[in-house]
Amino acid sequence: MTEPTVRPGAVVDEEVALLPSVAEERISVATQWQLMWWRFKKHRLAMLSTVIVFLFYLVVVFADFLAYSDPLASEAQRSLLPPHRIHWFDEGRFAPHVYGLTGKRDPATFKRVYTPDPEKKIPVRFFARGFEYRVFGLIPMDRHLIGVEGATAEETLFLLGTDEQGRDLWSRLMYGTQTSLIIGLVGVSLSLILGVFLGGISGLYGGVLDTIIQRVIEILRSIPTIPLWMGLAAALPNDWTVIQIYFAITIIISLIGWTELARVVRGRFLSLRQEDFVMAAELCGCGQMRIIFTHLVPSFLSHIIAATTLAIPAMIISETSLSFLGLGLRPPAISWGVLLQQAQNIQALAISPWLLIPSIPVTIVILAFNFMGDGLRDAADPYGQ
Amino acid sequence: MSRKGRRITRREFLQDAVLATGGIALAGLTPALATAAEKTDPKIGAQLIGKLEGPTLILDPARFPKKFSEAPMLAELVKAGKLPPVEKRIPEEPLVVKPVHSIGKYGGTWRRGFTGPGDGENGNRIVSTDKILFWDYTGTKVMPCLARDWKVSDDGRVIAILLRKGHQWSDGTPFTADDFIFWYEDIYLNKDLQPTPNPDFMVNGKPGALRKRDDYTVVFEFPDPNYLFVDILAGSTAMGGGQATQQHFGRTMGAYMPAHYVKQYLPKYSSRDELDRKAKAAGFDGWVSYIKSRWDWRLNPDLPTLGPWKTVSPINTPTWGLERNPYYYGIDSEGNQLPYIDKISMALAENLEVLNLRAIAGQYDLQERHTALAKLPVFLENRSKGNYDVRLDPALNGSDATLQCNQAYDADPEVAKWLLSRDFRRALSLGIDREQINETFWLGVGTPGSVAPAESIPYSPGPEWRKKWSSHNPKQANELLDNAGLIKKDAEGYRLRTDGKGRLRIEMLTAAGSFIPHTQIGEMIKEQWKKIGIQGDVKEVERSLYFTRIKANEHQIAIWLNDGSEVIYLFPRHALPVDPVEALLGHPIANWYASGGTQGKEPKDPQLKKALELFRSAAGKKPQERYKIAQEIWKIMVDEQYSIGTVGQSPAAMGVRIVSKKLGNIPSRQVNAQHARTPCSSHPATFFFKS
Amino acid sequence: MLAYLVRRLILAILTTWAVSVLSFVVIQLPPGDYITSYIAQMSSSGSFVSEQEANALRQQYGLDQPQYIQYIRWMKMVLQGNFGMALEYGRPVAEVIGDRIYLTMVVSVAAIIFTWCAALPIGVYSAVRQYSWGDYVATFIGFIGLAVPSFMLALILMYFGFTLFNANIGGLFSDEFAEAPWTLAKLWDLTKHLPLPALILGLAGTAQLIRIMRANLLDELGKPYVVTARARGLSEGRLIIKYPVRVALNPFASTIGYLLPYVVSGSIIVSLVLSLPTVGPLLLKSLVAQDMFLAGTIVLLLGVMTVIGTFISDLLLMWIDPRIRFEGRQ
Repeated sequence: MTEPTVRPGAVVDEEVALLPSVAEERISVATQWQLMWWRFKKHRLAMLSTVIVFLFYLVVVFADFLAYSDPLASEAQRSLLPPHRIHWFDEGRFAPHVYGLTGKRDPATFKRVYTPDPEKKIPVRFFARGFEYRVFGLIPMDRHLIGVEGATAEETLFLLGTDEQGRDLWSRLMYGTQTSLIIGLVGVSLSLILGVFLGGISGLYGGVLDTIIQRVIEILRSIPTIPLWMGLAAALPNDWTVIQIYFAITIIISLIGWTELARVVRGRFLSLRQEDFVMAAELCGCGQMRIIFTHLVPSFLSHIIAATTLAIPAMIISETSLSFLGLGLRPPAISWGVLLQQAQNIQALAISPWLLIPSIPVTIVILAFNFMGDGLRDAADPYGQ
Repeated sequence: MSRKGRRITRREFLQDAVLATGGIALAGLTPALATAAEKTDPKIGAQLIGKLEGPTLILDPARFPKKFSEAPMLAELVKAGKLPPVEKRIPEEPLVVKPVHSIGKYGGTWRRGFTGPGDGENGNRIVSTDKILFWDYTGTKVMPCLARDWKVSDDGRVIAILLRKGHQWSDGTPFTADDFIFWYEDIYLNKDLQPTPNPDFMVNGKPGALRKRDDYTVVFEFPDPNYLFVDILAGSTAMGGGQATQQHFGRTMGAYMPAHYVKQYLPKYSSRDELDRKAKAAGFDGWVSYIKSRWDWRLNPDLPTLGPWKTVSPINTPTWGLERNPYYYGIDSEGNQLPYIDKISMALAENLEVLNLRAIAGQYDLQERHTALAKLPVFLENRSKGNYDVRLDPALNGSDATLQCNQAYDADPEVAKWLLSRDFRRALSLGIDREQINETFWLGVGTPGSVAPAESIPYSPGPEWRKKWSSHNPKQANELLDNAGLIKKDAEGYRLRTDGKGRLRIEMLTAAGSFIPHTQIGEMIKEQWKKIGIQGDVKEVERSLYFTRIKANEHQIAIWLNDGSEVIYLFPRHALPVDPVEALLGHPIANWYASGGTQGKEPKDPQLKKALELFRSAAGKKPQERYKIAQEIWKIMVDEQYSIGTVGQSPAAMGVRIVSKKLGNIPSRQVNAQHARTPCSSHPATFFFKS
Repeated sequence: MLAYLVRRLILAILTTWAVSVLSFVVIQLPPGDYITSYIAQMSSSGSFVSEQEANALRQQYGLDQPQYIQYIRWMKMVLQGNFGMALEYGRPVAEVIGDRIYLTMVVSVAAIIFTWCAALPIGVYSAVRQYSWGDYVATFIGFIGLAVPSFMLALILMYFGFTLFNANIGGLFSDEFAEAPWTLAKLWDLTKHLPLPALILGLAGTAQLIRIMRANLLDELGKPYVVTARARGLSEGRLIIKYPVRVALNPFASTIGYLLPYVVSGSIIVSLVLSLPTVGPLLLKSLVAQDMFLAGTIVLLLGVMTVIGTFISDLLLMWIDPRIRFEGRQ
């Protein structure tokens, strides 16, 4: 209902008070974006969060490089292996290595037990050769950030341990990050398009169109999301490939996102369309689309960016929830949701707690997006007061 | 339609050996069974798998106890004049059970967990001594149950069931032949309630009939010989399944019904308008739904029943509560009326993690349902804290994750061609490293091998057939594939289709949330197949969608358990495509079989056709011959690898038993099979609290 | 004014109708029907259903009829106040839901109370001390619930509650009270079970509330009357609580209307993990089982609650801020 308007006026006051003349001059000549940036910088948590989000998207781009083993390669003999410890020095020299392990199932406890063998040192190299991949889907490459070259199944590196099927959790996490963050981004883009378009029409034209769109929004918001997801996800054609399902899921997720954005946009349009510059543009004979995209949208772009940033974490959480419900991406695919679903049981908590590690990046990235969005929103109203 | 097919087969299996008197040895299964698990080397898990044991029935009336006693809670009622004395409540010839370890003590509440109204089997399987006939604790020999005895005519057309004089329903009304006749005439033949005849009550597609000979004798009559009917009555089937199992959730089978109670809900004995009005008042749309809910033992505490416990708090509440049946017809060998335990209280757990965690916390006294093998280390770790023991009961079926290659697939001719190729299927099988799968998903407790059942049962074709084409041999697999014509490979080493449409991809369909992690197993197999250049795609779908797709003949390979296939004549659907409800090897083939060739699609593969013919041809064969035929069928199935077995004979399904240390008469190992209604073959009525 | 009200009311009714159609469609979307999923369930629980039985059941439940007929039948029943029979439960839907709706309310209200108690102080603090470390820390804590996937948090807290504190495993009652009539002892038992679900559900909502509170308060703090009050030497604490916080709270009044349905919908997953006897797990299970009457009724119920809530919110908002009326008319 009430989209809170944030006017962090206090900050400006402070700045004005401190450096009256210089600041005033700076402010009066600064562009909107400069003002936003200055204000955004004040929010240290938002700054930090932006860096974190940036780093995460680096992982998205370089997932292949950061992963060091095939995320699908399974091997029973290294099932549920705890995280490996890297020994950085060997007799005083810098020579990162891990110990070789021998594993067997304890016949009494039924747990798999791994004994490190300090004699068997396996060197860990940077920029090591590993499985082949293509950078940006184009350039073939087999170098990875770290890795163990020419090792057998049991003699590889497991930074974060392995899952039940003996697959390396670190590598899976890298690919999961890639999938989930792309889903967040694509989903939010779709939401944005729908939201801006429908919200814009609604706010600009008003009348019957507005009423209809507002009703649609209300109806969509009145249906609990879970049945909506379940119905749509279960109705996906069964001959679709993983990729197609991936995009379908993204679209399904974005279905919940656009209504909120549409409301923000509509509210902005309602207040802006009375402004003189819109009237002026109309009198000059500008087309509606031109008015929307060259005059109106830029004037509240900052708000949209903030709202969008805040919508991404909801998408990410939705993806994990869908997987939990068994409706999202399904196991052969790797996403945060799939990884968390795998850890959603008692034996993971009791025996292999490292399987819960994927919840840490999920939490961090969602917090980061939220703080970043809050910072943007605080900064988005440069002329406030 | 389908039933027709199955019925024919069953009847064909009849044997004259099914004799007039007591239990029939179905097999020589008994002796070998117990030792099966221990014999295979000091295998992991052996310490948790005990000796197969269980209570036995005393059948000689001379040895029957003459003095009876009863639970204190009933004794009080008797004293208060609210209940007749115990000797008036039990039949003249009761079911006399010699407990497995000792005579028990009365009292206590058995705590369990259940997952909601869909989990009816949780209780059904405990009260399944309401079956006409049953098995002994080994699950191999037919035993009296409600019937004190049975007689099969020489020509196999008439099966007489002898009831127990003085046997009473849980409300004290006599249980007689009239209850059978009521079921037959007023329920089974009532088109509103049972629109089509049930295949279990037919032979060669011809319906059987039920007749009363005297108050305590009913006869099942068939137009053709139906020796197998004895097995059907003992099995978990529509006719023999008993009141609890066959008369819940709208089911109308089970061969008898409490006439005196159910009559009031039938238009014939009341007025239809009146009944419809009553139904509407209770929220039902008409008398049919209403009467079906009235005869559902899980929902209606007023319903007279015959099992050891009856419902007091229905299954659609947070606690499914059962209480002893004061008229239960079983006693122990010293004349104490069973059951020992007063009450069963099943607490609702909305999800399996909560249920398992409660088991770990020792909140259940005995739970073998929904407990997961993957949690075994956690169960073991908390044994002393939770004051319970863990027992593993391996099942007898060959493979808990079976790759069923659709022999009627036609959506993609290239894939269909390969699924029909024996060498291709053998190669797929040889490309699977079963040891890895066993270690990962069965914690090493299962037995890798083909689909053939455990060697300890007479249907087994022999140990070599557990291994045939079912070991890991990528080299041989590659040779088979090369010779079959799949020579070209792409850059990543995957074999290409012969029609030039790129990589050959085989889809493995799995059901989400199934008890065995089929999806994960599929993923592992997919990785293993890389070595033979085959691209497998795992496709997980929601469970009901899984069956919808199979029915629509859309799957290439479907992964599922082959549980129940160990008694192939009673439950063939996981072994052969004969039942259109679930035909993993091809729904059109099952339609073809069940319709006698008028519908569906004839199998293209001559060997598969031969297996189906063998199955049908077993008619009228003597038991030994019948086993031979079953062995022949299994040999074909293994040699042809239509169904690729992985790991079986495992406790993964209903075989991880959490037992409170307070409980007595708990067998150290019990048979884990559908037809034995586990845990009912251990006679839960004899379980008791030691302190 | 009256015309506006009537118009809103008509729109609300139309919306409700649309929700009913949409929920019916959505629930019917997955292939197969209740019987299919029943067969599947039986098959994997060691029991089985024959083809004949399946067809008979389909006929009995009217599942063999075209969908629009099924919808009309359903609507006819609903309009007569009859929500049909919960197929799996063999009980009228109203009874099945009725048992659980009160507990759902209790859990939701407890969660809302928790949210408010946690979020308001944090919101006030982080507005007053904007960009201080205290602001960051408090906000961080407040946002944790939003960031950790609730199903994971629920399982982790339940597990460690059990292993470390021997707490109850899921549910809202101990076994002995589950079926007992209401007594003080049962109430106390419920109170002991409530904190965990309330905490997890409440945490999920704090972030949004902190955000709104902070923003509104910042808005107020910049206003001249605050400056005036400060200039007049009012103590800072008194100054903030007395006026700005009160004013900042105003918009909350308008959100009360749809807070409840929002929390109920949000609680579905957590209720499932914690095995709470609320409508959440019921909805999920009925959707999986494709039990049209049960799932449809719950979705409809939540939908109607949201529509009514929005309607009430609009009224409240209009009452608080007359400007809205004009906007609403545009």
